[in-house]
Amino acid sequence: MPQPEPTLPNRGGPLAGIRVLEITKVWAGPYAGKILAALGAEVIKVESATNLDEMRAYGGVDINSAPYFVSINQEILSVQVNMKTDEGLELVRQMVAKSDIVVDNIRPGAMERSKLDYEHLKEIKPDIIQCSIKMWGTDGPLGYQTGYAPCFAALSGLTNLVGYEGETPEGMNIRYGDATAGAWAALACIAALNHRDRTGEGQFIDHSAVESMTALVGDSLFAYALTGEVPKSDGNFHPEICPHGAYPCADGEWISIAAADEVEWLSLCRVLEAGSLAADPRYAALARRLENRHALDAALGALTSTHNAGALAEALRHAGVPAFRSQSSIDLCGDDWLWGREGFRMVSDHKNGSRPIIGPSWRMEPDMAKVERGAPLLGEHNDYVYREVLGLSQERLEDLVARKVVE
Amino acid sequence: MSGALEGTLVIEVAERPAGEYTAKLLAELGAQVIKIERPGGAPTRMMGPHKDGQSAVFGFFNTGKKSLVLDLAKPADRATLDGLLARAQVLIDDHDEAWGAAHGLTSSGVAAAHPHLVHCIITPFGQGAPQEWQMAQPINVINAGGWAYHSPTEAKEDKPPLKGAGRFLPDYEAGIDAATCVMASLHRQRRTGTGQLIDISEIEVQINRIDCVLDRLLAGDVEPSRERTAYDMGGPATCFACKDGHVYLFMTTQGHWQALGNLMGNPGWFGQFKPDWLEFHCTKDRVDEFRTLFRPWIASQDKLAITEAAQKAGLAMVPINTAADLPKNEQFIHRGFFQEVAGLMYPGLPFRMSASPPRITAPAPLLGEGI
Repeated sequence: MPQPEPTLPNRGGPLAGIRVLEITKVWAGPYAGKILAALGAEVIKVESATNLDEMRAYGGVDINSAPYFVSINQEILSVQVNMKTDEGLELVRQMVAKSDIVVDNIRPGAMERSKLDYEHLKEIKPDIIQCSIKMWGTDGPLGYQTGYAPCFAALSGLTNLVGYEGETPEGMNIRYGDATAGAWAALACIAALNHRDRTGEGQFIDHSAVESMTALVGDSLFAYALTGEVPKSDGNFHPEICPHGAYPCADGEWISIAAADEVEWLSLCRVLEAGSLAADPRYAALARRLENRHALDAALGALTSTHNAGALAEALRHAGVPAFRSQSSIDLCGDDWLWGREGFRMVSDHKNGSRPIIGPSWRMEPDMAKVERGAPLLGEHNDYVYREVLGLSQERLEDLVARKVVE
Repeated sequence: MSGALEGTLVIEVAERPAGEYTAKLLAELGAQVIKIERPGGAPTRMMGPHKDGQSAVFGFFNTGKKSLVLDLAKPADRATLDGLLARAQVLIDDHDEAWGAAHGLTSSGVAAAHPHLVHCIITPFGQGAPQEWQMAQPINVINAGGWAYHSPTEAKEDKPPLKGAGRFLPDYEAGIDAATCVMASLHRQRRTGTGQLIDISEIEVQINRIDCVLDRLLAGDVEPSRERTAYDMGGPATCFACKDGHVYLFMTTQGHWQALGNLMGNPGWFGQFKPDWLEFHCTKDRVDEFRTLFRPWIASQDKLAITEAAQKAGLAMVPINTAADLPKNEQFIHRGFFQEVAGLMYPGLPFRMSASPPRITAPAPLLGEGI
């Protein structure tokens, strides 16, 4: 008797048993898949050698160990399909029939042309959940536009709020935005899954990457609606906490400090041995400190500049003042707390045996899904998807490979 | 049409924007949320700006909730909470462990008393972190997590790291992951009848949002460094002042460069740059030179007119929208992103759902309102 194919490991997690088809590229879409996989879903990434995810090409030559790609796609399965062939599209439709959720971030119009838009998908599987991630959503007067994450941030209202007081706004680092858009997509998919649990009904999720950033400044937008005052980039200003900022330390480091009340303010002065600041009438109450905050920031910066950032932050925290070193990428890479809590963790890696990755932001007890396998080789799970999930014969699969429908 | 979480009861004992946002998201997706407030009201009610006594912060982060005032130090009130937890599906908290211990809401205590409950606790550094770390304000979280150090792009050595947009950026990001996990766990609860503890670390959300940049440093694909610019991509992309505001220009290809030339009427100084300089000769000096020559021209242009012309020319130059621009933006209007509730425009969620559209059902409650 032939033995059944070895099935995939049982990883557990709250989304165990949910299958996601991911037709995505670059960062936002794959990030959504990563989150769903980290919650236990089986996420199958539809790929093709002739239409690669750019992340398999950036920064390297080997498409199976490209650094960007292996940094994101943990616990993702890879199946190859040439979606430029009708036969390939038919195979994708068969995968849809066996899936619960489809996530895509292909440019406007492409899913419709391939008959993989929601109207077609629900004919294949009436309760399918589809989430399409687009710059501006799927329709509307600007729906045709495509762009880049820093453009989304600029359009969203977020960039305008980041920068130094009185200067041209500069926005968050240029890398900000893609991952958040993906996180929103994962959230929306799981909301829809709850709706399906309750009603049996699937649905279409029309996701906007621009709005993904707008949502993050909701309170500032609502404050404008309430007061009529247009918020601007404001450095590290906080209207109710002063001091509130990042201050220079020795060796080019910085420390963030926020003293929320009089007790914290006086404790800060004590740790910095700044009796003259504590006694200065210009800083005698929150309102006075806010009025004179530029002078106060300069005075504090002069005091912090000789300190080691990590040691000063620890002394301040023990004195009851919220403070933390402003961590650089190299500080983060060596952060014992993050390693100890598995914020950074090791997964398998085809090339090097193992690789550190950035783990999920959550822990669950009980039934945390396992995250152990690194990013897949291109087509690593062809056998699983075609033989086990779709039930094709070995001969049929070999024929599809020979004719480059699976490539 | 009903919301996705119709029939779900969420109890919120959170008192910071991180937890309040988590429960707000669940409310917008259809859950019934009861916010437990201390006598005198939630601390976020004190956060400005205020208008007619209403806090914009509380007003935004608590839409669609009911308010119940309980003094959890009093046994009778604590018993009321337990009664609510017995029939709720979810408990949202964002206090440190000492607070949980003082109020009988430790993770193990809740799991023992209410094994069916999805219990989500959001803290700056996650469960088990040293007590004095957990009092972190959002500015401490975003600095601890690396985004502040590396913002803005091309951060200068002598300028401080930035807290991000508004006061609460790390709270929003944590709220997204928290709500995601809670809903995944609700799906599990329906099948198994049992709950889970969900432990969200705000700093781990921060590092997760930079995964494919930071991980290459972590794995040694790229040499890690102390550089403020370690997350940058290079190139001329940046913000520019124009006549009536600001625009953002993103260019990486020869095609972008040609499009900009056409938009500007191919000024003479374009000849100083090779047509493919963005792809093959994009040094810092050339970027600086380009910006110096571009600035006077863009300074004389109107934000909307020039960016619309740029889009049509195939150039990714976009307006830097302000809070005042967005409610008037045709695409935001088309998608119904802003929702009017009791005469005020509220920003909504960044996705539309065909079968269970998110909706703000009510403004934030008055103290004790709704029960």
